[in-house]
Amino acid sequence: MSANPGLAYQAPLFGVVAGLVLLLAPGALESRWTPPALALVHLIAAGFMLQVMLGALLQVLPVVAGAAMPAPARVAAVSHLVLAAGALALAWGLGRIAPHAILAGAALLAAGLLLFLAAALRALLAAPGASGASRTPRDLRYALAGLAITATFGVLLALVLSRGLALPVALPTLVDLHAGWGWLGWGGVLLAATSWVVVPMFQITPAYPARLTRHWAPAVLVALLAWTAAALSGHALPAIAAGLALLVLAALFAIATLRLQSRSRRSTPDASFRAFRLAMWAALGGLVVLLASMLTDFERLPVLAGVLVLHGAFGGAISAMLYKIVPFLTWLHLTQAGIKAPNMKKLLPDGPTRRQLQVHAASLSALSAAALLPVLAPVAGVLLVVEFGWLFANLLGAVRAGRRARG
Amino acid sequence: MSTVVVDTRGLEPPEPFERAMEALVDLKPGESIRLLLDRMPHPLLRMLDRDGYRHEAQVREDAVEILITRP
Repeated sequence: MSANPGLAYQAPLFGVVAGLVLLLAPGALESRWTPPALALVHLIAAGFMLQVMLGALLQVLPVVAGAAMPAPARVAAVSHLVLAAGALALAWGLGRIAPHAILAGAALLAAGLLLFLAAALRALLAAPGASGASRTPRDLRYALAGLAITATFGVLLALVLSRGLALPVALPTLVDLHAGWGWLGWGGVLLAATSWVVVPMFQITPAYPARLTRHWAPAVLVALLAWTAAALSGHALPAIAAGLALLVLAALFAIATLRLQSRSRRSTPDASFRAFRLAMWAALGGLVVLLASMLTDFERLPVLAGVLVLHGAFGGAISAMLYKIVPFLTWLHLTQAGIKAPNMKKLLPDGPTRRQLQVHAASLSALSAAALLPVLAPVAGVLLVVEFGWLFANLLGAVRAGRRARG
Repeated sequence: MSTVVVDTRGLEPPEPFERAMEALVDLKPGESIRLLLDRMPHPLLRMLDRDGYRHEAQVREDAVEILITRP
């Protein structure tokens, strides 16, 4: 991200804002439907995660798929600004119940995404299909389709909330579809597509089983489509069956990753490796809690599931990957420019990485506790501010080290 | 004509890239490198194209093999 620092390295600032919201609105975690909880979720999902994931896509596409984005720097800069403004407006609108801000946020997010998707699809369609037998390019395409569907449900929700658009579907159903496509169709498939390459590459593990990489993402898409059709047509039992299939598929991915990690050829696991492992355990924990929340009406369970999946699984895995991808790409851009690149450890030293990831583990514990005991929310808020502020500082350090090497 | 074998399997990035670059520095006209990797090195291939090296990739069960020749 040295050649193109646009999207990704500023993204943790959304996490800092999320921490402040938690600090200022301690009742946020009373249920998944409180306005501050909706603001928090969107600061993390549409702010932090979306920016990092799109930024990583811009950077990862050329390396793993051999696809180059047309004018990536311009696309990155423009879509970064539009998406950042959209995420902030949306979070503000949801948190303060301000219909105009909700609509403006959704419109900006949609515009930023359209710009990005137009460029990414062109690059991905031009990418060679079978590069080293990797399923990653295909699954990246699926993830972008999942993102488009998530955004469509999001825009519909914004129209319902701000303009009173009447739809023949219950609002909670629409919210579940939006969240489900976001978690698995976009986030899960993108995480898996990236993991197929990044986990064996940086964690020195064997490759994922070919059967898993061949069938996992298509199976997720089919199950999501079945769930969507059943939910929209009001067929409760098929919807539950498809939902269970999705839980099993998500668990399969986490278990396969943990098994690979246990067979790593690394002599001692580094901080990023341990953070990724924690993320997979958090995913499994989140799935169990999600299952429990389908069986009871206890309001805290969906909040805890959200914390474990969003912050534990996605937040943890994203941080762990950033610590590998950012210094590697900085190194690569320097080398490709014919500049003698500093050692990767100089670009992003071990000490601050390890300590920041320890704060992530602490903030995950505090947030999980606060999901059950909302009085703890301010503690979690402070830890979130520290965690994301520090992540930002560490990434900025790597970007700056890259710039220094350029002279 | 001699061929140097550079096996980078099991190394953490960017070491495979660095090993390949080191081998290229020592490569004389007409000589070639048989580079063994865990995956297709798209960034390296782009650099080889830019710098005028000839390369042929072969995807095998246990490795990606790139034969690099200096024209």
